[in-house]
Amino acid sequence: MKVAVLSFAHVHAAAYLALLRDMPGVEVLGSDPDTEGAAPGETRGRAFAEEHGVPYADTYEDAFAWRPDAVIVCSENARHRPLVERAAAHGADVLCEKPLATTVADGEAMVAACRAAGVRLAVAFPVRFSPAYAAVKRAVAAGETGRVLTVSGANNGHMPTRARRWFADPELAGGGALMDHTVHIADLLDDLFGARAVEVYAQTNNLLYADEVAAETSGLVTVVYDNGAVATIDCSWSHPRSHPAWGGLELTLVGEHATLEMDAFDQKLHGHSERHGRPLEIPFGVDLDARMLRAFLFGPAPDGMDVADGEGGLRTLRVVAAGYESARTGAPVPVT
Amino acid sequence: MPPLHIGLLGAGGIARAHLPGWLALGARVGVHTQDGSAEKLASEYAELGHDVTAVPTLDDLLADCRAVDICTPTPTHKELALAAVAAGKHVVCEKPLALTVPDAQEIAAAADAAGVRLHPAHVVRYFPAYASMRDTVVRGELGPLAVLRFTRGGARPQWAPWFGDPDQSGGVIMDLMVHDIDIARWVAGDVVRVHARTRGSERATGAPADVVTATAVLTHASGAISHVSGLWGLPDQQFRTTFRIAGADGLLRHDSTAVPGFRITAQGVRAANEGIPSSPMTESPYLTELREFAASWDDGSVRPRVSAYDGIEAVRIARAAVESSRTGRAVELQPSGTEIEEVVR
Repeated sequence: MKVAVLSFAHVHAAAYLALLRDMPGVEVLGSDPDTEGAAPGETRGRAFAEEHGVPYADTYEDAFAWRPDAVIVCSENARHRPLVERAAAHGADVLCEKPLATTVADGEAMVAACRAAGVRLAVAFPVRFSPAYAAVKRAVAAGETGRVLTVSGANNGHMPTRARRWFADPELAGGGALMDHTVHIADLLDDLFGARAVEVYAQTNNLLYADEVAAETSGLVTVVYDNGAVATIDCSWSHPRSHPAWGGLELTLVGEHATLEMDAFDQKLHGHSERHGRPLEIPFGVDLDARMLRAFLFGPAPDGMDVADGEGGLRTLRVVAAGYESARTGAPVPVT
Repeated sequence: MPPLHIGLLGAGGIARAHLPGWLALGARVGVHTQDGSAEKLASEYAELGHDVTAVPTLDDLLADCRAVDICTPTPTHKELALAAVAAGKHVVCEKPLALTVPDAQEIAAAADAAGVRLHPAHVVRYFPAYASMRDTVVRGELGPLAVLRFTRGGARPQWAPWFGDPDQSGGVIMDLMVHDIDIARWVAGDVVRVHARTRGSERATGAPADVVTATAVLTHASGAISHVSGLWGLPDQQFRTTFRIAGADGLLRHDSTAVPGFRITAQGVRAANEGIPSSPMTESPYLTELREFAASWDDGSVRPRVSAYDGIEAVRIARAAVESSRTGRAVELQPSGTEIEEVVR
């Protein structure tokens, strides 16, 4: 199976290249021609592909001429749409980085293009492949929790601009932390509830890294679902940059009959490095990206979990769009 | 300091947390209740050799004490506090100070006019982890604060039915979340906007699985934002509080169940769930609180870390959260601004 990774703008491109390179039955090719948005010092293009031992195409035209069965779109959020539309035109299945797009209009167009072309559109939400989430889902599906009342979620990470500056450029990213980190938990709840988000209240600020970036770096997003559940998501880039880990994702779910907690990334050894003079964290959990890529390329995981589809990506994008509107007005906003 | 003579109103869970604090300070304590429970509490302690006596009437209690400690259900706070203030007694009053802002203001104004101290018992400010966190923030160690999270949850209080009646307790927001609402304001400053949602059975039905939980987002005048969540949960919900405070220069986290210092890991039977948290590792925060309150009576330079104004503002924000939860709208708040200048004898 031939898989092309289109653009290395997203920080996840490195992991995808390495995983695909080592995945039996997969041939991988990278292409990253649009690097004018990169900051000085960011390794992109051919050098990045060589660093990861992956063949490289100088243009997207060359990449599509290689006739990939599937593509992974890792461009800046605002540049997902043209690549997804090109992939659809070439009949290639698409796994698109999250968020699906920066505007609902772009997202709708992408879903429509892929449907018209008969190609699959998937969105890269790896946390739904977490065994911790699977356990939550089993408990809720089996009725062990009863009706879900509230969910408190936190998807805190370090501000990603040192690796890729565009993450805090509203033109290319569509915003800051609210755009970057609301969607992972919104996707889990979309899958868990099978219910629609009906209202969003969000408050944001840029008190973290105020002198560095204009985008919001902190946000709290409250989402009301039509099953009655209420979720509050902390999407802040509030994980210190000098911390050994990038951040994490935690949920507390209160049901009528059980209270559950999950942490998708706490399978770690904790220690302290004398060499580096800071705490040491050694993760030993399953590789969620690998599970997601295998599900995209070869079908659902043994527990039945599949990649999020374009419609799901669009639903989470609508939550984010309502969040921006709410943060601007200070009032709850219906999800359209 | 003249001998401490305390009039304790109430003999329930929180009175039992305060009483050992008063005794540790060397107080003589008169207890009054309307349901006969004062006699039981007093005789329990008298048998241990403590100077604790049941007092038959409120007038008797007020006639013979320096300060009144109000540990009664919230709807009774105002009447009792006004009576104590009218008798010229200092007052420490359980949280929330009252169920409404006007009631809280009326109590504070009366105390002010009478020249007595009024101390709303926001005891979480005296829990060492919270006090250390606030000291660290005030030192500037974390830089300007951006986003804060607070959780507080445990088994639904079953020992007193009035908690389960939102008309009396104000519900999970007014009674439980008000702790962290106060801490959020203490740490990150005045609150200008509140949005909240409540789910589950606000009115207890008596069924064991009678869960109620609320979530609130507070927007501070500084622009910082706080998420506060509260849970009166299932009977086996371990009492637990957490916070996570993120500023431009650093992060502080706490989980009350992660750092007990001491724990029993087996005892052959399942332990009863504790209603009032306690730790063998530090002085009782109730004792710390009462000592600070008592020290302020005769020395005008002693300013307890909780003021009457703080008690009013906690009620104001909690009321706004209740209102938001009821209407579905965000509620804009105008902090009343200047702190009431307390007259000190």
